[in-house]
Amino acid sequence: MIEILVYGAVISAIYAMLAVGFTLIFGVARILNLAHGAFYALGAYTVYALTANLHVPLLVAAAIAVVGVGLFGVAVERVLVRPLRRSQLAVLMITLSVGLMVEQVLLLTFGSEARNVPSMVEGAYEILGADISAQRLLALAASIVILAGLWLFMQHTRLGSAILAISQDAEAARYMGIPSDRIYSIVMGISAGIAAAAGVLVAPFQTVIPSMGLLPLVKAFSIVIVGGLGSIPGSILGALLLGYTETLIAFEVSIEWSQIVSVAAVLLTLVLRPAGLLGKRAAF
Amino acid sequence: MPKISKIDLAAASIVFAVLAAIPLFGVTTYTIGVLTVCVCFAIWAASWDFMSGLTGRENFGHSLFIGIGGYTAGFLNVEFGFDPWWSLPAAALTAGVSAILIGFPTLRLRGPYFALAMLSASTVMQYLVIIFSQVTGGQDGLNGIFPILDSQRDYYWLTLFFLLVTLMVLKALALSPWGTILRAIRGDEATCQAAGINVTFYKIAALVISAVFAGLGGALYAHYQLQVGPDLFAVILSINIIIMVYVGGMGSIYGAVGGALLLNILTESLRAFSEYRLWIYTLLLMLILFFLPNGLIAPAWTRIRDRLARPREKKRQAIA
Amino acid sequence: MSLLEVDNVSKRFGGLAALKNVSFTVEAGEITGILGPNGAGKTTLFNLLSGFLPADTGRIAFDGQSIRGLKPHRIVNRGLARTFQLTRPFFGMTVVENVIVGCLAPRVRDVHVSTERRAREILDQVGLGHAADALVDVLPYGDLRRLEIARALATRPKLLLLDEPFAGLGTSEIEPLATLIRRLHDEEGLTILIIEHKLREFMQLVSRVIAMDFGEIIMTGTPAETVRHPRVIEAYIGKAEADVAAA
Repeated sequence: MIEILVYGAVISAIYAMLAVGFTLIFGVARILNLAHGAFYALGAYTVYALTANLHVPLLVAAAIAVVGVGLFGVAVERVLVRPLRRSQLAVLMITLSVGLMVEQVLLLTFGSEARNVPSMVEGAYEILGADISAQRLLALAASIVILAGLWLFMQHTRLGSAILAISQDAEAARYMGIPSDRIYSIVMGISAGIAAAAGVLVAPFQTVIPSMGLLPLVKAFSIVIVGGLGSIPGSILGALLLGYTETLIAFEVSIEWSQIVSVAAVLLTLVLRPAGLLGKRAAF
Repeated sequence: MPKISKIDLAAASIVFAVLAAIPLFGVTTYTIGVLTVCVCFAIWAASWDFMSGLTGRENFGHSLFIGIGGYTAGFLNVEFGFDPWWSLPAAALTAGVSAILIGFPTLRLRGPYFALAMLSASTVMQYLVIIFSQVTGGQDGLNGIFPILDSQRDYYWLTLFFLLVTLMVLKALALSPWGTILRAIRGDEATCQAAGINVTFYKIAALVISAVFAGLGGALYAHYQLQVGPDLFAVILSINIIIMVYVGGMGSIYGAVGGALLLNILTESLRAFSEYRLWIYTLLLMLILFFLPNGLIAPAWTRIRDRLARPREKKRQAIA
Repeated sequence: MSLLEVDNVSKRFGGLAALKNVSFTVEAGEITGILGPNGAGKTTLFNLLSGFLPADTGRIAFDGQSIRGLKPHRIVNRGLARTFQLTRPFFGMTVVENVIVGCLAPRVRDVHVSTERRAREILDQVGLGHAADALVDVLPYGDLRRLEIARALATRPKLLLLDEPFAGLGTSEIEPLATLIRRLHDEEGLTILIIEHKLREFMQLVSRVIAMDFGEIIMTGTPAETVRHPRVIEAYIGKAEADVAAA
C-alpha cells in the first residue's frame, strides 16, 4: 500500500515534468513536439556518457545534460521547426524525424543494450515498512522543486508572464510587442531541459536504452490530452491520475495492462471529452 | 486534378510489365520474396495516400488495419482451418469494419489529434495482442499460416495483380467526384458543409476504403510470411509507410507506390548497412520536408511527362 | 406560409446573450436586409439559420418544416445556402472545381447532367467564367466574393444568406456585385437574406430591413422607414451617414 503511494508519487512527478514541458511548447507555439521523448533519452545518455566515459562528477554531468539538451532544443526549434511552421503537419513530421534521428544516433553510438547510470544518492529508506530507494525519493523531491521553480518563474518574471501571455492569446501578445519567435525558442529550450532533467533523474532506476523516449512521449501526450492541451494545472492533474492508475494496475494486475492505461485513456478522452479535464477549448 | 493521359497509362503499363517480368529472368526466390514485400508496401502506401493524402488527415495508425488484416488471415487459417483464399475477402472486411468503428470517434478530430488518436489505437491493439497471448500467441504471434499458392513466383504475381486492382480502384475514385469532395475536405470542412456535402460520411468512407486495401495487403503479407506477429501493429510500420508516401509525393497515389518501391529497393541495396536503414529514411524525410515539400516521384514524373508531351503538342499545333 | 420563420430564437455564449428572443419571417421572393453594428448578433443569427451553431431555444422553420438542430449540410439540401463573411474557398483546387463541389450536393446532383458544365454556367452567370481554370489561391479578393456566391448557387437554393458580400471591396467592385445580386433576384426569383454595413448599396438593394442591436430586433420596416427610425440612427448610423443613405 505504502509502496503504491510512494512509487505512484515518483512516477507521477516524472510524468508531470514530461507533460508540463510538452504542453508548454504546444500552448505557446502550437508545436506538437514528437521529439519530446528524445530529449528525455538524450538527458539520460548524456549523463551516462559523461560519467562512464569521461569520469565527470555525477552532479556536474547532470547539470551539463540539462543545459546541453535545453540548448539542443533551442537549436531544433530555430533550425528545423521554425522554417516549417506554416504547416502543422510538416512540424509534426520534422519533430518526428528529430525523434527518430536521435534514437538512431544513440543506437549507433551506444548500441542497443541497456546502460547503467549510477545513483546520485545511495541506499534506501524504510517508510512505514516499505523499502524505497533514496534515488526515487531524490527524483520525487527534485521534480517537485523543478516544477515549483517553473511555476515561480512563470508567475513572477517578465519573461514568464510574456510566455503566459502568448499561450493565452498569441495575436494580442504580438500586438503588445512580445517577440514571439524568441519566446518560442526559449520555451522549447525550457521544455527540452525539463524533459532532460526527468531523464537524468530516472536514469539510475530505469533501463537506459535508445528507444527509452518512445513510451514517455506517448505518456506525456496522453496526460496532456487527458488534462487538456495547453493547460499546465491540467497536465499535473493528468500526471497524478495516470501515475497512480498505472502504479495501481502494475501492482494489482500486471505490468502489461498498466502500459495500456495511457493509450486507452487518450482514446476515451478524445471520444468523451475532447477538451480534456481542465482544457478550455476542445482539441478539435 | 489532371486526368490520366495516354503517357501516364503507358508509363504505368511499362512499370507493371517490368515488375511482372522480373521473375522470368532467373532471379532467386530471395529476390522474388523481396519484390513481394515491396508490392505489399506499395499497396499499404497507396491506401494510406488515398485517405490521408487526399483529405489531409494524416493517419499515424495505418498499421492498425494492416495488423487486423494479417491477424484475420492468421485466425481463419490457423485456428479455424479455412481455405487460405478466404483470408483475402475476410481481411478486407474486418479491416473495413474496424475503420467504421474507429473512424466515428477519431475523425471528429482535426489535424494532429486524428494522427495521434490513430497512433494510440494501433498501439492499444499491439498491447492487447501481447496481453491476450493465449489467443493471439503473444510476442510469437500466429505461426503455420498456409500459403495461398505453392509457387513463390505465382504468389508474387498474385500480389502484383492485387496492387494493380488497388491502384485502379483508388485512382478511379480519386479522379471521380469522390476525389473532388475529399480534396475539398482537405481545403475547408465548414465550406464543404456549406456546399451541402456530408463531410463525416465522406471522411469515414475514405478511411474504410483505405482500410479495406490495407487489410487486404496485410493478409497478402501474412500469407507470404506464413506468420503474423504484434509488430504488424507497430507505430514504426505506420511511420515507414508515411515516409514512403512523403518521398513519393502526397495525394497522387502513384507517387506513394513509387516511394514504396524506391525505399524498399534502397533498403535492399543498403543491406550491408542495415543498421543505418532507419537513419537514412529519417534523413531522407528531413531533406524532403525542407527541399521537396511535394515529394520526389510525383513531381519528377509530372516534369518528365510534360517533356514528353511537349513535342507532340507542337506537332499538333503545326498541323492545325 | 412564409419561406423562413424564426420564432423566439435565443443563443447564449457563456454568460453573454448573443441573441435574445429573435422572431421574424422572410417571404418568398423578397430581398431582406439585416442591419446592425458589430456584435449585434447578425453573424450568430446566420450561423444558427445555417446549422453551424445550435440554437438554445425557439423555432426555425424553412419551407414549413423545422430545421433547428439539423446539420449544416442537411439544411443546404433543404434549399437554404449561405456564404461566409471571410471567404473560405477550397485552396489548392481550381475555381471550377470549387463550384463543382457545390454541384455534388445530393440536392442537385444529377448523373445525367455534367457537373462541370453546370459549374461553368454558374461561373459565367456570376462573371467568373474567364477565371474558371485558375487556381483559387491566386484569385483576387473581389473574385473570391463572387466565388462564394457561385458555390452557394451551385446548390440551387430557394433562400440565399449573404454574409456581408461587399466587405473589403472597393467602390468600383461593389456596384457590379450589387447588380449581380439584384439580377439573381429578378431573373431567378431567388429569395435573399443579406447582412451588410455598406448602407447606400444595401438600402437600394433590399425591400425590407430588419435592424438589430445587442442581440435583439429593434425594428422592421422599409429602407426609408429604417433610416428615419430614431433608435437606428442613435444605435449605429449617425446623423451624417443617415443623410447620405436617405439621399
